[in-house]
Amino acid sequence: MNSAPKQKLIWLVLIAVIIAIPLVAGSYVVGVMCFIAIFGGLAVSMGLLLEQAGMFSLAHPTWFGLGGYVSGILAIRGIAPPWLGSIIGVVFVGLISYAIGAPLLRLRGYYLACATFGLLLIVEISLAQLGSLTGGHEGLIGVPPLSIGGFVLETDVHYYYLSWALCLACLWFLYNLMGSRMGRAIKSFSDSEVAAKSMGINVPGYKLKVFILTAVMASLTGSVYTFYLRFTQPGIFGFPLLVQLMTMVIIGGGKTIYGPLLGGFVVIWLKELIHMYLGEVLPRMSAQVDALFFGVLIIVILIFMPGGLSGWMDRLLYLGRRTLGKTSG
Amino acid sequence: MTLFSQIIQYTISGITSGSIYAVIGICWSVVYLITKVLNFTTGEFVMLGGMLTWGFRIAGFGLVPSILFAVACTILISMILERIAIRPVRYPSEMTYMMITIAGASVIKGLVLLAWGSETRTIEAFFGTEVIHLSGATITSQVLCVFGLLVIVTIGLSLFLNRTLFGKALRASAVNLTGASLMGIDISRFRLFCFGLAGGLGAITGIVITPITFTGYEVGMLTGLKGLVAAIVGGWTMTGTMVAALVLGLLEGFGAGFISAGLKDVFALLVMIIFLIVRTMNFASGAGRGSP
Repeated sequence: MNSAPKQKLIWLVLIAVIIAIPLVAGSYVVGVMCFIAIFGGLAVSMGLLLEQAGMFSLAHPTWFGLGGYVSGILAIRGIAPPWLGSIIGVVFVGLISYAIGAPLLRLRGYYLACATFGLLLIVEISLAQLGSLTGGHEGLIGVPPLSIGGFVLETDVHYYYLSWALCLACLWFLYNLMGSRMGRAIKSFSDSEVAAKSMGINVPGYKLKVFILTAVMASLTGSVYTFYLRFTQPGIFGFPLLVQLMTMVIIGGGKTIYGPLLGGFVVIWLKELIHMYLGEVLPRMSAQVDALFFGVLIIVILIFMPGGLSGWMDRLLYLGRRTLGKTSG
Repeated sequence: MTLFSQIIQYTISGITSGSIYAVIGICWSVVYLITKVLNFTTGEFVMLGGMLTWGFRIAGFGLVPSILFAVACTILISMILERIAIRPVRYPSEMTYMMITIAGASVIKGLVLLAWGSETRTIEAFFGTEVIHLSGATITSQVLCVFGLLVIVTIGLSLFLNRTLFGKALRASAVNLTGASLMGIDISRFRLFCFGLAGGLGAITGIVITPITFTGYEVGMLTGLKGLVAAIVGGWTMTGTMVAALVLGLLEGFGAGFISAGLKDVFALLVMIIFLIVRTMNFASGAGRGSP
């Protein structure tokens, strides 16, 4: 009975902690937490697509990158201010994901994964080749900072609040979505498409809606990321990002909505620790080598802890409640 | 260079890469048909073959021993991957298998990068660097080695699968895994064998192309994916894979020559996506509506 007030309390505590961090911690922690918000938010939408809706699409980093590219190009050329560019990017990615998703989502399982993996590589290679528009391999350089009205977002703290606001808004939206009629429909067809169809659920329609929705979320995150870094390049959202996002989803556990965000927290801090302590031991340490550690983590977690951290926590809570109930009763 | 000799040159390079994709496609289907695992590390085995041979050459071994060591190491790595990462999975699903093999691929890639850096490497051609001139186009002896590899692999595999008891049992388990295990076929040994076979074939392919295309830690993913395209388009059969791979190779050769060399990797992936979409469309019912 008391689940609604309890949830409200959890949200309030979370928001209070996030607001308080920049007041207490140094700029390094704020920068890292900013990355957690961006990639954790991205992982949350990917986890919804992969684990809750059961659609194994690997093209999620593509939407992230395309959103960043569209808003970045518009801002560099002075065609649209950054905030408008982000919205145009969202519309663009929504249209593209509709055009690609409509025929592609007829596939399932391995074939959907192969086709979307192909899409990921096609977009990465094409962006690197279209040198005059996208800057080729070097990418877009000199993206102006995000500004709304006369207010320019320049420091890490500004972007920290912006990215966490976006991340929490996505999280809140997805919680409400999954509690709604549409959310129940999504869960039902991930268990069994035939059963869902026989209950009168429009499975292809819902699949397309979820696909576009997550693509749009990724695009918005990508725009914020581009304006935060002030540049973007094709290498940012290729295979390494895919492995990183998969690690976040698997470590956190995709069966809950907050799981991938938890995974993002663990993965990004782990990455920082690895770079801090192994940088001296291994001379060739680079972003590419991170994928090595993520790969090992994915294999170990899938074998020993298939539910991820959140599944493990749920199990722990359940066991705790059961043993407590026994002693008191 | 006249247009005619250009066409011959592109055909030769197309058939060369087509032969490579054919052998890699066979690696994918050997594993997929028996174990139902889409093994994304296949491309990394191709890379490992080339890189390990280079590594042994640098360490001072001759060419033939290096090749043998490299193939043996890759087979071993492939089998270890199956034993420690794929077999212990508790709730096997397509998604889990795919995540594990993608993770395995990134582990192999990362280890090679850590060990040998990101420079491209090469080994010397097997039979010297003589070239054959053919009406303006040139064929190197290494290209002939690639054709030879495809012929040997095809004949060897079809003899093995059709004439030996082990091969027949392998085909039986590809058709019906449960039925085969009820007939007393040891499935878990077969899974190990298939991974080993795929690793070995992939490594040999990687070694043979290294003198032509060079190798580096990142070549595996795209080369492997093109083999997958051939296997999917060819319907996971050996003949189909070979035909699809050769067509794909020619398409890529001419695309790189006449359209854009930078975009040549895109063609194969586009072919895969279009093929997969077209396959899901039900032409039979649409045609049936019009016909009596």
